[in-house]
Amino acid sequence: MKNPTINLRDLMILIADPNAYLRRVVNGMLRGFGANKIFEVENSSGLFLALSNQRFDILLCDTKLPPHGGLTLVRTIRQNADNENRTIPIMLMTAEANERTVKTARDAGANIVVAKPLSPTSLYDRLSWIAFNPRPFIDTASYFGPDRRFKIEGYPGGIGRRKGDKPMEVAAEIGPALAQNDIDSLFNTARSGKT
Amino acid sequence: MKKKQDIPATVFYPENRFDRMARRAGGVPREQALAQAQAQVDEIAPGFTPWLEQEMQALCTAIDALSKNPASKMHREKATQSSEQMRDTGSTLGFELVTFVAKNLCDILEAVAAGATYDKEVVDCHIDALRLAKHERYRGLRPDQVPELVNGLLRVGEKASLVPNQKND
Repeated sequence: MKNPTINLRDLMILIADPNAYLRRVVNGMLRGFGANKIFEVENSSGLFLALSNQRFDILLCDTKLPPHGGLTLVRTIRQNADNENRTIPIMLMTAEANERTVKTARDAGANIVVAKPLSPTSLYDRLSWIAFNPRPFIDTASYFGPDRRFKIEGYPGGIGRRKGDKPMEVAAEIGPALAQNDIDSLFNTARSGKT
Repeated sequence: MKKKQDIPATVFYPENRFDRMARRAGGVPREQALAQAQAQVDEIAPGFTPWLEQEMQALCTAIDALSKNPASKMHREKATQSSEQMRDTGSTLGFELVTFVAKNLCDILEAVAAGATYDKEVVDCHIDALRLAKHERYRGLRPDQVPELVNGLLRVGEKASLVPNQKND
């Protein structure tokens, strides 16, 4: 899918990373994208101070933001019912973008993970993904955050656990499937076209 | 299959300025935005070498202290932090080798934290490699273009990352 254009002008963007040089780089990239209201903090106390004083539109946070770590901070932000930034989109930046980190980030309530070192493309495309793939929020006893099932390919056992879950609908068959001979013939034509 | 249990959940769309405003018309087209962002990075790039020098000094100080006292958590964490900062910025500024060497060093220091023996020679070897990789002439060079260096570091790194219970496997 081609990533559509995003407009970051006048959006309040908060970068939370202990590395001053990296913050400068991310800040520069965002300015290149058209952002003009970018704020930076270097630790979790700075982050909470910023979030309690100001409403932000998106947070870019390092997973190892000292001293608590980004994942703990995401959970805290999502659990704090009194904070107006509770539903802020959160992009976690990590150098360990493995499956385990991504799952932990998702379960903490992050919207998306971006791998460090960053590139303008990786940052732009993730911002674009957040903007153009809005997700509902889920509020349960054990989780508060964006819907983690944003790519539903069927429920486990065919039955969803939420009250609103409906059986997956499969389109009705509109005609006979291709016969194996027809499939083979298509492949043969394609192969002969290449040679 | 029967439902295990009903989980009460509230599903709602919060008021989200980011979604709404980022989709407004009038944004910078993607290709132009990427070019502008890269230009901003290029503008910041001259500051990378001095910053890296500073970070290298901090790393060397922490490593010296750690070599004298390998059990020091404070010095190990400081060394890890400097290595992580170099790892996280190197490639963005075109120094892929810096990222590679720093990442390898991060892995070694993490293994030390998990119980591996601190090997001064291996750590010094990485410091030397970082000193080399930070030179302008190595900018733009990918790890696969210097296989001898990369394979050597990976090999010593692997050996130095063995934690005691893994050694028995």
